[in-house]
Amino acid sequence: MLYWEDVSEGRVFETGTLTISEKDILEFAEEFDPQPYHLDKEAAKDSIFGELCASGWHMCAVMMRLLADTLNRDEVVSVGSSGVSSLRWFKPVFANDTLRATITVTECLPSDKHSEFGYVKCAIDVKNQDDRKVIAVEMTLMIARRQQENTHV
Amino acid sequence: MSEKSPIIRSRWFEDIPVGEFHVFGTHTFGEKEIIDFGKKYAPQTYHTDPVAARDSIYNGLVASGWHLCAIWMKLMVVYMERFAMGVRDGRRNGAGVGFKDMKWIKPVRPGHTLTFTYEIIEKPDRVVRGKWGVIRSRNEAFNQYGELVFSFIIDILAERAPKDKD
Repeated sequence: MLYWEDVSEGRVFETGTLTISEKDILEFAEEFDPQPYHLDKEAAKDSIFGELCASGWHMCAVMMRLLADTLNRDEVVSVGSSGVSSLRWFKPVFANDTLRATITVTECLPSDKHSEFGYVKCAIDVKNQDDRKVIAVEMTLMIARRQQENTHV
Repeated sequence: MSEKSPIIRSRWFEDIPVGEFHVFGTHTFGEKEIIDFGKKYAPQTYHTDPVAARDSIYNGLVASGWHLCAIWMKLMVVYMERFAMGVRDGRRNGAGVGFKDMKWIKPVRPGHTLTFTYEIIEKPDRVVRGKWGVIRSRNEAFNQYGELVFSFIIDILAERAPKDKD
């Protein structure tokens, strides 16, 4: 198990990969983002993207899946996230693109209010199969602290 | 005369005023949809397992922060479509450039109802790819107790009116 105390600035986690199918794009768009350029190939040709592409929020959700799978794989005791200080969408994601991410720890801060977890700020770069950056995220994770021995609650 | 357009028409960049504020939608989060989203995109027990979630810092199941984002988008599309019905000559929808200061402030639990608001706060003086302007908005969501639970500032591209329109 990896706790807040075990993670330090500069540590890098490499995620696995996920391939986004046309079906994945359409399913997410139908439920959450039914704009023509995420649903209809013809309409997408005349759009800013030029081709059917995944919702930007779908890209965020896939980033989260890559991140969660990596935290679970490496037994990092994550208890959530307080937010995202910035996110940029650089390139659209098209059907059959394969995404992966590099997660770099940029800062570790204890919590003033909470003794059970600390904050870990991460820079997360999501890239496609051509190694082109599709999104860049700065996100603050909450990681459990090691339970102190001899602590009586 | 109404004609179903394959693209959602909306107002030109120039016609969107700074200061515009809208309460644009509400959504009640069900337990099943929270678990479905969690299993698919955020597989952590506090998003996927109501029993195991009791042992988490949240003392129960909570929605993924990215689920709040997805619902924000869903409500925004409905709002844009409604708005577009009265617009005959307008821009095409642009893409999001990015967002900042996204804060997940309070847990969203099954049965919670969020009300989403936006305010246009700035139109940065930038032209992207020749014809797109940037609309910056502050977005917030409040729960049924009136507590702010979610906020962020997003930049979205809006098509500039053609010069010959004036």
